[in-house]
Amino acid sequence: MVTMAIAKQTLEDMLRRKILLILLIVALGMIALGPSVGFLSPRESSVVLRSMGLAVILIAGLLITILSGIQVIPTEVERRTIYTVLSKPVQRYEFVLGKFLGGIFTVFVMIAAMGIVFLGVLAWQERHFAPDMLKGVLLTFFQMMLLGAMAIFFSTFATPVVNFFLSFSLFIVGNMSAVTESLTSNKNPVTRILASIVHFLIPNFGNFNIQNKLIHPEVTISNETVFIVQNIVYAIIYSAVLLILAILVFDRREV
Amino acid sequence: MSPSTRKNLIIAIVPLMIAVVFLQSLLDPQLKQIRGAQRTPLVGLSNEFILGPLLGLQQAVAGLLWIRADEFFHEGDYDAILPIVRMVTWLDPHQLDVYITGAWHLSYNFTDSSERSDRRYIPAAMKLLEEGDANNPTVYDIAFEAGWQSIDKIKNYEQAEDWFRKASLRKAADEAGRVTKSPPMFVRHQLAHALARQGRIDESLAVWKQCLTESEEKVKENPNDSSVRNVRDSQRHNYLLNLKRKFSRYTHEIDWPVDRARTQSVNEQTGEPTPRDAYLMTDQKEVTSRANAFRRAGEPVPPMGVGQPRPPATRPLWDTAFDTQKGGTTTVTFPSAKVLDIKGQMAVGDGARVTIRLQDEKWREPKLKDFTFSVDRSVTLMQDQHSVRNYTWGRKIDMSKDPKMYSFSGEYYFLILEFNPRQTSPFIQDRFGWSGEGITDKKYLITIPPMREGQPPLRMIRKVYRLSRAQIMGSQPVTEKDVVPNADFDRFQRELQQTASR
Repeated sequence: MVTMAIAKQTLEDMLRRKILLILLIVALGMIALGPSVGFLSPRESSVVLRSMGLAVILIAGLLITILSGIQVIPTEVERRTIYTVLSKPVQRYEFVLGKFLGGIFTVFVMIAAMGIVFLGVLAWQERHFAPDMLKGVLLTFFQMMLLGAMAIFFSTFATPVVNFFLSFSLFIVGNMSAVTESLTSNKNPVTRILASIVHFLIPNFGNFNIQNKLIHPEVTISNETVFIVQNIVYAIIYSAVLLILAILVFDRREV
Repeated sequence: MSPSTRKNLIIAIVPLMIAVVFLQSLLDPQLKQIRGAQRTPLVGLSNEFILGPLLGLQQAVAGLLWIRADEFFHEGDYDAILPIVRMVTWLDPHQLDVYITGAWHLSYNFTDSSERSDRRYIPAAMKLLEEGDANNPTVYDIAFEAGWQSIDKIKNYEQAEDWFRKASLRKAADEAGRVTKSPPMFVRHQLAHALARQGRIDESLAVWKQCLTESEEKVKENPNDSSVRNVRDSQRHNYLLNLKRKFSRYTHEIDWPVDRARTQSVNEQTGEPTPRDAYLMTDQKEVTSRANAFRRAGEPVPPMGVGQPRPPATRPLWDTAFDTQKGGTTTVTFPSAKVLDIKGQMAVGDGARVTIRLQDEKWREPKLKDFTFSVDRSVTLMQDQHSVRNYTWGRKIDMSKDPKMYSFSGEYYFLILEFNPRQTSPFIQDRFGWSGEGITDKKYLITIPPMREGQPPLRMIRKVYRLSRAQIMGSQPVTEKDVVPNADFDRFQRELQQTASR
């Protein structure tokens, strides 16, 4: 109950932040302008429209997640409101979980808004509804959930600036999973071991990239539903690990 | 937090991370399927695009790059397009139009100052299409384009047949982007053309007949669909016309204006038009003229008379008198360095085209292992065609303005003059047959054995000169002594092939 109350308050606080709203409005505008690339051939214009729409959702989601994730705990400390909260019968883990859930609800609302506009633009442009694109939007949300958990974890011990660069860098490294995966079969044993550590232990944000499949229907995978479910479970489990770590660090922190 | 809770939480991380590693090992093979041949080429990407692939936005960056390429195309900056094509195909190997446009660009748009294609790029274009087809093995589009380039640009009809067959077995994307539809009919239309160009007429007719049968069914299902009716009508036209052409060329020559006016139906087994008016001799003048033609050719005169069927259009053999008309010969001169002035004679109808090809003596079409834009700048390869008008052909070809295309860095070259009946217009083929069955020449006729089952031998005209660099630079004249006998040229090419394969 306490966790949900903190989450609700965090959501309301986030939705009032102008920077996040501006990001959302810019993203919605860019998605709406997608059909202006229609001068390409019909087939390529569809590819560009779909890939651009998903890219805008990802970039806006990324910025919204990092900007909200890096600030939730440090802002409370800076404003000293955390003392008021923690002086009440609120456990520290409830505070961390509440902040995480509030941030994730915010990201969900914003990604959902962008997803609806994207599907609407696509339906208007291509004269048919493309429900497959929902899978891309859904996986982007879970990708952001994992990123949000990571940002919350870093925010328990790092300043927002350090957190921003840490989260952003790890997001890029995590997107290079194709490279790290190929290095796991390298001939050099040292490279192989290091690559395996990076590949299996750093959050693999590249896992959630299903764009190739969604944009090009000729790309096939064994079982798409299983792939999506496995990715969601991966995001949930890894987020749980990061949140446990965040709780453990925050529990020892002097505030 | 109590120490025991803390300990329990730390312990809980271990199974969770094991689950993460297990899930990752499950996801990796599926991700490989999704990525396919996708690569993340950071070197070569300009600053504004470099972040995209790092964030996993390869497709979006590929799309933006393709928009940039479109801008370059409209600005006429063709050289800038090729690197973008390569980059886009790496970032998103499923953008079919990028492979198709890139290959078209390589084959057709790199030209000398007189708009002659730089044919050194053709192997690269075909390799790009092969790569694209391998990355998109379920759709017809790239295989069709490879077939089209083979038939239109390279004139390799066997290769075209292979690509069109491959394309015809693939699928096409529907309006929703699902790859479920059969490929369009034009894929098999081109297959029929490729078979006809090889002289495999019965197989070509079978393809037309199959297409026509399917279209008749579609017309029954959608009687008001004018596009389906138009396709059916054009298939019927091509099918019947080829049937009659086969009859005219190999059984009894048809008078085409009479055929247009009177033919009501065609026998699908023999190609015979009904009524028979179109292929019967009408007056004694014609009978005499035809009999004389047989006598002049030294062939036995078949039974002839007014009201009798004409002999096949490919009989008697027609002497093209290549370069020997009125006792003349080809004149090859280089009035100045790298400027070829060539004139020749040929006793064929206006519109037949003589191919003029000047190449390094040891040139062979390279077999590319991987796609590359770079070509061997030291190679000289010029190809042009010229139409016969009033039994003469020829033109001045200035290669001095394009040193990058025509470096002439080798010591010896072959100047090859060819007339290939398989490449010529149907109205010329009406006299010579699809494979030159009705053609002869006292000096330059060659016969190429069949390359495929069901293919007749090809009878064509070829005259080859071996030229030195000094002759091309204009310091020494070109004479008939430089002509290489066709048998010697063939032997040299075979040896070259054997050396290359070793």
